[in-house]
Amino acid sequence: MSDVPMPRAGLAAAPKAWRGPPPLVLFALTWVGLMLAVALLADLVSPYAYTALHLRNRLSPPAFAGGSWAHLLGTDELGRDVLSRLIASIRMSLLIAFGATLIGAAVGTAVGFLAAHFRGWVEQCVLALVDFSASLPFLILALAVLAFFGNSLALFVVLLGFHAWERYARIARGLAISAGTQGYAAAVRQLGATPWRIYGRHVLPNIASTLIISMTLAFPEVILLESGLSFLGLGVQPPATSLGNMVGYGREYLTGAPWILLAPASVVVLTTLSVSILGDWLRDRLDPTLR
Amino acid sequence: MLRFLAMRLLRALVTILLVVTFAFVVLRLSGDPAQIIMGADAPPEAVEAFRSAWGLDDPLWVQYLRYFQAIIEGDLGRSMRDGRDAILVVAERIPSTLALTVPALAIKLGLGIPAGIHAALHRNSLADRAVMMAAVAGFAMPSFVLGLLLVLVFAVKLGWLPSGGQDGWQHAVLPVITLGLGGAAVLARFTRSAMLEVLGQPYIRTASAKGVPWRAVVRSHALPNAAIPTVTIIGFMVGSLIAGAVVVESVFSWPGVGRLLVVAVGNRDLAVVQCILLLVAATMVAANLVVDLLYGALDPRLRMARAGGGA
Repeated sequence: MSDVPMPRAGLAAAPKAWRGPPPLVLFALTWVGLMLAVALLADLVSPYAYTALHLRNRLSPPAFAGGSWAHLLGTDELGRDVLSRLIASIRMSLLIAFGATLIGAAVGTAVGFLAAHFRGWVEQCVLALVDFSASLPFLILALAVLAFFGNSLALFVVLLGFHAWERYARIARGLAISAGTQGYAAAVRQLGATPWRIYGRHVLPNIASTLIISMTLAFPEVILLESGLSFLGLGVQPPATSLGNMVGYGREYLTGAPWILLAPASVVVLTTLSVSILGDWLRDRLDPTLR
Repeated sequence: MLRFLAMRLLRALVTILLVVTFAFVVLRLSGDPAQIIMGADAPPEAVEAFRSAWGLDDPLWVQYLRYFQAIIEGDLGRSMRDGRDAILVVAERIPSTLALTVPALAIKLGLGIPAGIHAALHRNSLADRAVMMAAVAGFAMPSFVLGLLLVLVFAVKLGWLPSGGQDGWQHAVLPVITLGLGGAAVLARFTRSAMLEVLGQPYIRTASAKGVPWRAVVRSHALPNAAIPTVTIIGFMVGSLIAGAVVVESVFSWPGVGRLLVVAVGNRDLAVVQCILLLVAATMVAANLVVDLLYGALDPRLRMARAGGGA
């Protein structure tokens, strides 16, 4: 086993002059930018209404696979334009992921602050809840809640929001406790600031960068969860459409019309890939303690 | 040591208690199961009879206490669909699920850990980059996309393997690969960063400096220390042996616990869903408990601290 080499000189990696983000990060940035633009301008760039049927033109292949240029990515089993549905799905999936990530961060941070502020039994309760959240795969919890409460978009977003709340709670609690021992928090408290003011105006801005990086890391997980649940038929319900939902329905036509499924599947993969590359990059550059 | 064990057990019990409560609250308060099982146009007398037969007309706290008592007695209720014991309905699916998840776990461990270690030891090499790319791609690729791609290539285009069902070992190949590859990617990434963390520690440099051969440094200093954080994630993987295949089982129409859960949730078969929730929570909690005990075995600092030797 003499092929195990010594590590290269300087395990701590000699600091290099920064030459702008690496190409992969640039690609990720471009893709995320493109997705955001598509989501924002969905109505403008969409060639057809995503629900418009064109029954004489069912299952027509994409333009580059012998189909017509009228339907760039082909049509589905009801003759709906796949590109238009893809655009509507991107908007829906990103909207859900943004909403859910924000809810998770807000709830988690608030709960973490509560635990840090009151300590004692409040903190014990929070920690027990954190344990509980970590002890069950979120997909199982979400499945139970969704199917039993029926399904509405608002409920779905709130439910996904609870994904990863415990991570923010843990981070916020830890950072708030350590902030409490630092001069600035003690100083404003001595000046008579209310807890709202201490946590909102002083502690929160100081831990914001860590929270934002955690959000970037959790965002792709939310996209994956949303698409997984929608794929199982328990997430976004027709006539609304999302990326997972499109894959789920496209699966029926896997043999004859794989493009229905491949288009949304590649968008899911590229988007989660890009956001996690960005998240990792941000974390490595801004906050190595999060590793 | 005993105190540590007792604390861990207590936490595990509290977690189970919370899961039971959660299951009860969510599943009982969310709708009227009688109406749903019987259908919207069932005669009211029939619905009433169903309610009293299942105890659904008692106050909620009575139902809750009864539920607890039943669980302690090992009675998890009957499936509202066919009246069989829920625990039997679930139990008969477990072997199918394990037939997927156990080989998948073997792939995860056998592929992920060596890949992660190799990548860390050859940092910034081509192999390292390849492992990292594969790991990031494995994270970004949801299991249903990977599964469907495998079906598209190996079942539809090449016709080598069946696309779904359960009629022999060929049917398990694609689902096992789907589960295994995703997990291996996660594990490789995790092992790599644990290993890199350890390799940067001063004691590694000390060992090298005093002339210990590099191979021995890796074997007796780096690997045992990197194992400590890695055990946590392996514990999570072992804990999800039963529930980790919900999506993959659905992709491949595999009749396991995950498929049962999706169907039971659709039918509002309360007893079955609760049974699966409890089973999943119990396996997760048990796996976490074992991980905590393993920590004690793996990490001499914890052993010392507990023996009163200080850290």
